[in-house]
Amino acid sequence: MLGYIMRRIGVSIMILFGSSFLVYNLAAYASDPLAELRLSADDGARQQIIALTRDLQLDVPPPLRYFLWLKGILGVFVGKLNMGMTREASSVQEELAFAIPVTLRLVLAASVTALLVGIAFGIISALRQYSRFDYAMTFMAFVLFSLPIFWVAVLLKEFMAIQFNNFLSEPSIPLKWMFIFSCFTGVFWSSLFGGERKRFWSVFAGAFATGFVILWAIDFTDWYLHPGLGPILIGFLSVGIAIGVASISTGLTNIPARNAALTMAGLAVLWYYPAQWLFNNHGSYLVILLMLALIVGTGFICASLFSKVDRGPIARTAIITGVISGFLLFVDRIMQSWQPYFITDAVNGRPVPTYGQRKDQLVTADFWLNNLDIIMHLILPTFALILISLAGWIRYSRGALLEVLNQDYIRTARAKGLNERTVITRHALRNMMLPLSSLFVGEFVGLIGGAVITERVFGWSGMGTLGIRAINSYDLNLLMGVTLLLSTLVVLGNLLADLVYSALDPRIRLVKE
Amino acid sequence: MGTEKVLEISDFNVDFWVDGVWYPAVIDMNLGLAAGKVTAIVGESGSGKSTTALGLMSLLASNARINGSVKVKGEEMVNAKSAILHRFRGREVAYIFQEPMTALNPLYTIGFQIIETLRNHFDMGPKEAQKRALELITMVDIPEPEKSINKYPHQLSGGQRQRAMIAQALACDPALLIADEPTTALDVTVQAEILDLMRGLKDKLNSAILLITHDMGVVADMADEILVMKDGITVEHGTADQIFNKPRHPYTQQLLSAVPKLGSSLKRVLAFRQDAKPAPVLKLTDVTIEYPKRGRVPAFTAVKNFSLEIYPGEIVGLVGESGSGKTTVGRAAIGLLPVKAGSIEIVGKEIAGANQAQLSAIRRHTGIVFQDPASSLNPRLPIGESIGEPIYLAKIAKGTDLARMVEELLDQVELPRSYRNRYPHELSGGQRQRVGIARALALTPDLLIADEPTSALDVSVQSRFLDLLTELQEKLKFACLFISHDLAVVDILAHRIAVMQNGLLVETGDRDDILLRPQNDYTRRLISAVPVPDPAEQRIRREARLAAKK
Amino acid sequence: MKLFGRREKPIGEILSGGESAIANKEVEGLSLGQIVRRRFFRHRAAVVALFLLSSVIVFVMTALDTKIGPLRIPGWWRWTVEDIPDLRFEDCPGGTIGCPTLSVNPFSGFGMGTHPFGQDDIGRDYFALVMNGARRSLMIMFIIGFLAGFIGVVVGSISGFYGGIVDAVLMRLVDFIQTVPIIIIAAVIGKTAGRVGPVFLALFLGLLTWTGLARLIRAQFLSLRELEFVDAARVAGASNARIAFKHILPNAVGQIIVTVTLIMAGAILTETALSYLGFGVVAPDVSLGLLISEYQTSFTTRPWLFWWPGFFIITIALCVNFIGDGLRDAFDPRQRRRITKKDRLQAKLQVKAGA
Repeated sequence: MLGYIMRRIGVSIMILFGSSFLVYNLAAYASDPLAELRLSADDGARQQIIALTRDLQLDVPPPLRYFLWLKGILGVFVGKLNMGMTREASSVQEELAFAIPVTLRLVLAASVTALLVGIAFGIISALRQYSRFDYAMTFMAFVLFSLPIFWVAVLLKEFMAIQFNNFLSEPSIPLKWMFIFSCFTGVFWSSLFGGERKRFWSVFAGAFATGFVILWAIDFTDWYLHPGLGPILIGFLSVGIAIGVASISTGLTNIPARNAALTMAGLAVLWYYPAQWLFNNHGSYLVILLMLALIVGTGFICASLFSKVDRGPIARTAIITGVISGFLLFVDRIMQSWQPYFITDAVNGRPVPTYGQRKDQLVTADFWLNNLDIIMHLILPTFALILISLAGWIRYSRGALLEVLNQDYIRTARAKGLNERTVITRHALRNMMLPLSSLFVGEFVGLIGGAVITERVFGWSGMGTLGIRAINSYDLNLLMGVTLLLSTLVVLGNLLADLVYSALDPRIRLVKE
Repeated sequence: MGTEKVLEISDFNVDFWVDGVWYPAVIDMNLGLAAGKVTAIVGESGSGKSTTALGLMSLLASNARINGSVKVKGEEMVNAKSAILHRFRGREVAYIFQEPMTALNPLYTIGFQIIETLRNHFDMGPKEAQKRALELITMVDIPEPEKSINKYPHQLSGGQRQRAMIAQALACDPALLIADEPTTALDVTVQAEILDLMRGLKDKLNSAILLITHDMGVVADMADEILVMKDGITVEHGTADQIFNKPRHPYTQQLLSAVPKLGSSLKRVLAFRQDAKPAPVLKLTDVTIEYPKRGRVPAFTAVKNFSLEIYPGEIVGLVGESGSGKTTVGRAAIGLLPVKAGSIEIVGKEIAGANQAQLSAIRRHTGIVFQDPASSLNPRLPIGESIGEPIYLAKIAKGTDLARMVEELLDQVELPRSYRNRYPHELSGGQRQRVGIARALALTPDLLIADEPTSALDVSVQSRFLDLLTELQEKLKFACLFISHDLAVVDILAHRIAVMQNGLLVETGDRDDILLRPQNDYTRRLISAVPVPDPAEQRIRREARLAAKK
Repeated sequence: MKLFGRREKPIGEILSGGESAIANKEVEGLSLGQIVRRRFFRHRAAVVALFLLSSVIVFVMTALDTKIGPLRIPGWWRWTVEDIPDLRFEDCPGGTIGCPTLSVNPFSGFGMGTHPFGQDDIGRDYFALVMNGARRSLMIMFIIGFLAGFIGVVVGSISGFYGGIVDAVLMRLVDFIQTVPIIIIAAVIGKTAGRVGPVFLALFLGLLTWTGLARLIRAQFLSLRELEFVDAARVAGASNARIAFKHILPNAVGQIIVTVTLIMAGAILTETALSYLGFGVVAPDVSLGLLISEYQTSFTTRPWLFWWPGFFIITIALCVNFIGDGLRDAFDPRQRRRITKKDRLQAKLQVKAGA
């Protein structure tokens, strides 16, 4: 296996070498960094031309200059990376060091969410093939496929930021909108569950009522100004999550698993106040990590308490329940920071930002305020990116699952007497993941392209902005820095996808070993 | 009560909903099956036998509708609640499917898949289930059970996979085993072993078996009762003895007469005398063929030191099991595969190392019929163009002359002339194979290579196809290399037979010498494994085979 | 005898060949082209999309004057992009200027008015601008589609047909291009090519977007060349070129057409995005992306400047996507008619009526 990875890395380096050579020459011949200066007859311009030619070695022809640049890059193996200078004589790698985390934050948040939501929708769509939900999803996917991201981003800015901020200055939901929104919720859930007419309407009624009550409660308690979940709501939600996770993960007939999940939910509620104290006094990523470790540990203990056999699936159920319940605690704490955040000078009652990745005016040491600020800035661009990459996942996963469901081994699994849940989760989903794992890279590349535009619309100073600056000012070294980094990400993604594939598929794994 | 029926089917109907109409696939079927008995449902493709098998436990696609009654141990299965179906599937009614490669989940070990079945139906701990799975794997004679239990389906051979499938099916000691073409994808020797295994286990566990097959030999080997299906209708139902010896329905009679029987056809007279042999049409001398190394897959020698001569007007049958290299020989003989060592001469001209132009010239003397009727014709070309292509490319005729020749060829293979303008997807498998012959004979070749041309056809279609081929050969006197896995088919056609195993020629000789007086062990095993469509004789052969094993 | 709907044909004929033959029932006696056409027209969304897209193309292409060399075909719209009429401000909401006069209210009657999509800052007719932009975008889309399709098919066929060293070299080239995010490399080229003109921009973009198609065609060739009819053609004496063009390529046509439509749908989004970033079509030329980029800030006050170009981009892309989906279904050999709830209901009713 190790040999295989080493070989793949070797190939990846060769590809990076080839693609960077291609881009370097393309860019060098397509653009003249001195064009504007040459037009000017001014003496200073001539001086600048001479200086730039010397600094950027413009007198060397591009194919050769590439190797000068490459020499600096190859320095990475001896700890002396040199990606060259920008036109402004700043170091490229320093500029990149600032930009990388910004873009990664955006792209990772978007790709992971889009992946999870898209696959979930795709699976339900396939399981309810030719149902109302399926048609709606297919149509939605096509619409999303056809949306220009910059257009969506501008729309989001207008409606989700400006209008929502306006709304927050005098918040109240009109009855008409409560009604419309609840109707929508009702249709969504009832078509999700499917079934005959009677079932459709009962689910619709349930969802409609729940939606309406929630909206009314939000409006009545002015929840959007003082959001939070509180121990009671967390308790209800956790129990719901426990039952949901258990029924998907092991089935509710597995009593130990169900009990372990419910125990985890109960623990989450018991933990509410201790967690509050921890969060308030020691809010940091380390504490969150420790809590995560605690949840995993508790999950294993729960599993071993409730059963002597099959601890694996029970622990899985318990841990997933625990992590989601724990996440609720985290969300609750973030929500508690909403009010202080809302009234800071930097925010001044308009919490949804339209520009930048952080509020520079917000100077605070508070862990939660800072995180809330990051999250608020992430929301709109992430949402825009999710919208464009969601469609792909819905279509791919729907197609892949339908393909798998037609296979003989699914029929065998049914003929064995397995129930539908086991057939799908154990036999179909894992096989479905095989083709999807190789698609991840393509989607990731698409997202990077989308990120370039999103950053521009939302004024983030990430890789995309850097790239645009490089192109606009004919800054070859900067451009190469950006593309090399993005290409490396793509190549690494490819490698990862391959590894995931071989981890999932014994036919590949065993040949390679 | 005594002989309580395990399975009772009454007025069983299955229909498929296609394009606005219900099409019946199974019509008014009635059947009862007692413990320890084997009932076979036989019929050609499309007769509704597999639909029956799946329909019994409601495993059909969503466009199927099931009516009537299916009782397993007295419990109704048609329109039963899913909880009942889940309880009965695997526990009381277990399935064995045709293609073990696709019927087992490729991502889980066979041990896992057996344990999963066990734990789904019994309250059993993982250790206990593991132990039981090991017992099962040992019981079905998979070598090295301790190791094999952790193997993935792709790591096992076809026969072993089917054994794993059987182990999984028997995990819960089911009252009824439904075997849907359990041996169709396997070689004859493996088939014989699997059938022996199934018979032994049935006796041990007293399960009832519903055997679905198109192979009358397999039926003769296993069945107590037989149900013959055609187009969804049960045409005849009786004991094995009655069906084989006194078939009443004309369809059954026709079906039985179409089945080729080993050693029953007359000796075919050669066009020349043994002592005055003309120059051979095809001469292979010490041919070695290698599939070159591809990436990480090492080179593989498919055929080693193979020598064979075929004389004008002679049909030589080349038999062997899958992987024996017989198809490789056929393809190399026509220059589709490079030869690593040795020489291949067609009408005296060497093709090993010939260039493209020389090859084309030599190929005018040859024709080839392929195995798979689905892919042997270009779906985008009308039949006439496919047939006429060799003539057109050899610049023999064009335009109306070409059309006339194509029509003659269609006449020869007894297809209507109007088929010239049809596309392959409009033809049945048998018709497509006839088109294949017409194309192969377009240039009136000296040598015809037929690569398993009947393996995808139903017996009655196969029988008509073989008649046609014999007739044409007698008329046109071409030499023929007939490649097949089916000894009975080769027996009908061939003057001489060559037997291959693992890339080596193990035995060659006159048809009767090979079939009646085989010298080689492998040939003997091969012949004794071929099931004969006659229950009495099959019993004798089986006993002889088991005795030889001990 | 039974309750089944109609049974004019003997069952045997229907059933020979098993369930697949039942499914084949609906295609008997048709040529492949007819089958594809029939399946396509069964895809309702695709048919609507095809109709809509052709209407949009005709509408957009005839609206303004067309210059072909010295020839000048007059369009039916009164303004051109160069005209600068007076800014309209009477009966505009909230004191804005240059609001649209389009009326689709069924009571007061349909009417285009003088400036149906409104006017821009200096008074240019926005309808003319959008028509001009849509025309540019459509043209670029088609050029990219054809060029990328052509290169993709050629490279993919050669690679898949010959294999070996040729394949390795070509596929590495594909790897190189695919490793770099298309938007960056397109921007590099667009920065230069955009100034030269939209046709050059389209040509350059076409040079970048063929890689996915090439991979697909290669895979198709690799699997098709193993099929027995290719061997049969070889035995019949067919040359390599004949095998590639007469035997293999026609069988890949479905895949090619489908992929090219998807490339075109992607191309219009790439072009507009590039123009939005300023690396595609540049002023004084007009493109839909450029219009959105220029007027995004005036969204709050004069939203029509933002809606109309977006509407045309989405309509075109959506139509092309739906046509692609319809074609995919039509060419898919495994495609069977879907059994919908309505079908089941009809079947049930039929059974009842028969009984």
